[in-house]
Amino acid sequence: MAIPNVNAAELQTYKLTTAQKDAVDQIKSLVGPRGYVSKTEEMEPHLVDWRGVYKGNAELVCYPINTREVSDIVKICSAAVMPIVPQGGNTSMCGGSVPLKNSASIILNFSRMNQIRCFDKNNYTMTVEAGCVLQKLQQTASDADRYFPLSLAAEGSCMIGGNLATNAGGTNVLRYGNARELVLGLEVVLPDGQILSGLNALRKDNTGYDLKNLFLGSEGTLGIITAAVLKLFPKPRGIYAAYCAVSSISAAIELLDRARKESGDCVETFELISRLVMDLVLKHIPNCQDPLEERYDHYVLLELVSTAENDQELYNRFERILEGGMEDGLILDAALAQSEVQRQAFWSLRENATESQKLEGASIKHDIAVPVSAIPSFYEAAWQAILEVEPKARLIAFGHAGDGNLHFNVAEPANGKTQDFIDNWGRINTAVHRTVQIFGGSISAEHGIGQLKRDELTHYKPAVALDLMQKIKSAIDPNSIMNPGKVI
Amino acid sequence: MKVLVPVKRVIDYNVKVRVKADQTGVELANVKMSMNPFDEISIEEAIRLKEAGHAEEVIAVSVGVQQCQETIRTALAMGADRGIHVVHDGDIEPLVVAKILKELVDKEGPSIVIVGKQAIDDDSNQTGQMLAALLGWGQATFVSKVEIEGDSIKATREVDGGLETISVMLPAVLTTDLRLNEPRYASLPNIMKAKKKPIEQFTPVELGVDPSCRIEILKVAEPPTREAGVKVSDVGELVDKLRNTAKVI
Ligand SMILES: Cc1cc2nc3c(=O)[nH]c(=O)nc-3n(C[C@H](O)[C@H](O)[C@H](O)COP(=O)(O)OP(=O)(O)OC[C@H]3O[C@@H](n4cnc5c(N)ncnc54)[C@H](O)[C@@H]3O)c2cc1C
Repeated sequence: MAIPNVNAAELQTYKLTTAQKDAVDQIKSLVGPRGYVSKTEEMEPHLVDWRGVYKGNAELVCYPINTREVSDIVKICSAAVMPIVPQGGNTSMCGGSVPLKNSASIILNFSRMNQIRCFDKNNYTMTVEAGCVLQKLQQTASDADRYFPLSLAAEGSCMIGGNLATNAGGTNVLRYGNARELVLGLEVVLPDGQILSGLNALRKDNTGYDLKNLFLGSEGTLGIITAAVLKLFPKPRGIYAAYCAVSSISAAIELLDRARKESGDCVETFELISRLVMDLVLKHIPNCQDPLEERYDHYVLLELVSTAENDQELYNRFERILEGGMEDGLILDAALAQSEVQRQAFWSLRENATESQKLEGASIKHDIAVPVSAIPSFYEAAWQAILEVEPKARLIAFGHAGDGNLHFNVAEPANGKTQDFIDNWGRINTAVHRTVQIFGGSISAEHGIGQLKRDELTHYKPAVALDLMQKIKSAIDPNSIMNPGKVI
Repeated sequence: MKVLVPVKRVIDYNVKVRVKADQTGVELANVKMSMNPFDEISIEEAIRLKEAGHAEEVIAVSVGVQQCQETIRTALAMGADRGIHVVHDGDIEPLVVAKILKELVDKEGPSIVIVGKQAIDDDSNQTGQMLAALLGWGQATFVSKVEIEGDSIKATREVDGGLETISVMLPAVLTTDLRLNEPRYASLPNIMKAKKKPIEQFTPVELGVDPSCRIEILKVAEPPTREAGVKVSDVGELVDKLRNTAKVI
């Protein structure tokens, strides 16, 4: 998708106050020349979001090196009422990590705060700074024979601070929960610069309000997460993966139930992938191969996981579940990974879903959740609602069906005009989100609200809840300097 | 005709190999093992020869510990017809494997043996060539394309700087290179069918081969870790570092 045209006239529609100008100078001298960039070309990658939909302005991009420095910067900003946009890997799917157009702001990027402060093997925890790239944390855990289960396709670039600020979901929620469930303690810099240090590594702590949960999922609108204590798990050793063609969406849900029950609840992965997703991945991503001989409409990537090496019993159960599924017509065909290379190849079909869709052209995305039991009826109803708006729309549905979350995206018709399709954006959103509401679902399962769904949220969230959110925001960030224009 | 394909059980390609603390070898305990990737290619090629009507039977052979049966089962699930497991605990060298394969060739009478060009664990790149010599057969090594033409094989070989096309008379030994084909996945129905396919067992001694090692491994060590680079501020400093620190000019 093209970057929206931001013309020069628009860029000049805001002016810094004298206090804000002074704040910029103070911050520059505080962090020193290695701690910021301010030239437009250098700031560019921080100003545009991953999808290339949102582009904003900033006076500076700062790279603080520790919590103290973050606190000092925030104090300066607070005094000058200078907006702050916290930014990790800038992989936000909803324009949350880039500043607004036409307004002054400072971006705090955490790439230099990437230390692992403490690794406590027997407590199964690690204390890490906000700028650690997720993949590095997974690797660190793995090298020490531990497992950090948060996993998503952006893991090579997203940072733990961003993951926690968005309460990221990903592919392991079924078994381990969202990012929120993986946190024991949090260190936060508040909008007035105070440091809330709550880095306790406790699994039990009922001493009043659970403050950390205010910041987890707040998308940088309440405070800045500078460090966290993360939960670790025993490392999976036996991983049994199958790429299954299923006869229908309801067959997939039936298979999920059987797999959970009959495996001894060892299902770690249950990803749904539609045929169009496969076609786009095979078309746009090199070295990908269809694991099955024939074409099918729906696929499931299923993985059973054991922490024991060569868990032959689990493998036998795995085969029995698949065999049973095939006998009863839930599964039409399946390939079983015979090596780690083959398992990774299955994953690359799933993980390149988003990338290949970007390469194919315009798409209208919906990141929705419904109760797992409602997935089949929702799928059908939402698809019908989309077709009423755009009869030639193409459905790119995939996602973490095991936890009720689907990426229910709509690609532009193969030979249509992109603009005609984009003009239907709002109507297609409404078609999908109304259906979500009927099924008691969420219009943002894991990507958050950001700029993209801020207005949409007001139609779907109860007024009492929105009002309480506003009160919390005003209490913690009275001058509204934290990531303004996002969420509320 | 029959095609014989040896398949080796090795540390999975995606697993980071670690050297044992006592430096006697690499760590195998609790490590994921899979079929040598070049052998997957060999099996695939053999199955394609069968599908094209050139071969009647594909036999997969593995030499090694009990769990090599899993590797043979994978070959059977891909489409091989039956398996032979030569049971042996402990290290085994390419020459021994070649001798075992020769005995099996004498027993089974295949017209083609398709061997991976190397196993990714020891990278020896010897078994196919030794086997051809022991049998007195022609060989086409590092092949990236195979065509059967009557009683000979036209094979394209990957050589330094290009491709070479040769013709070898049958029977022959082929060793496979990466670009020969893209191996298929084992499908659930084929895995089920594979369970009913027979696997015969022998020991090296039963085949008249002495499995003892001729090479003694003195020490296995990690490669030296690369040191982090340094930034130099100007050409003068660069020249100075090259001369005095790296001592290369
Ligand atoms: C290919 C791809 C696949 C994805 N898959 C998934 C998925 O499966 N599940 C899922 O949940 N998400 C997914 N996402 C989106 C997801 O939200 C992000 O990938 C990730 O969680 C954000 O991390 P980040 O470091 O990039 O944060 P950014 O994008 O930089 O920031 C995200 C938000 O967090 C705030 N923030 C960042 N750091 C901090 C901090 N230290 N303190 C306070 N606020 C902060 C920002 O202001 C912003 O609002 C995907 C994105 C891509 C590009």
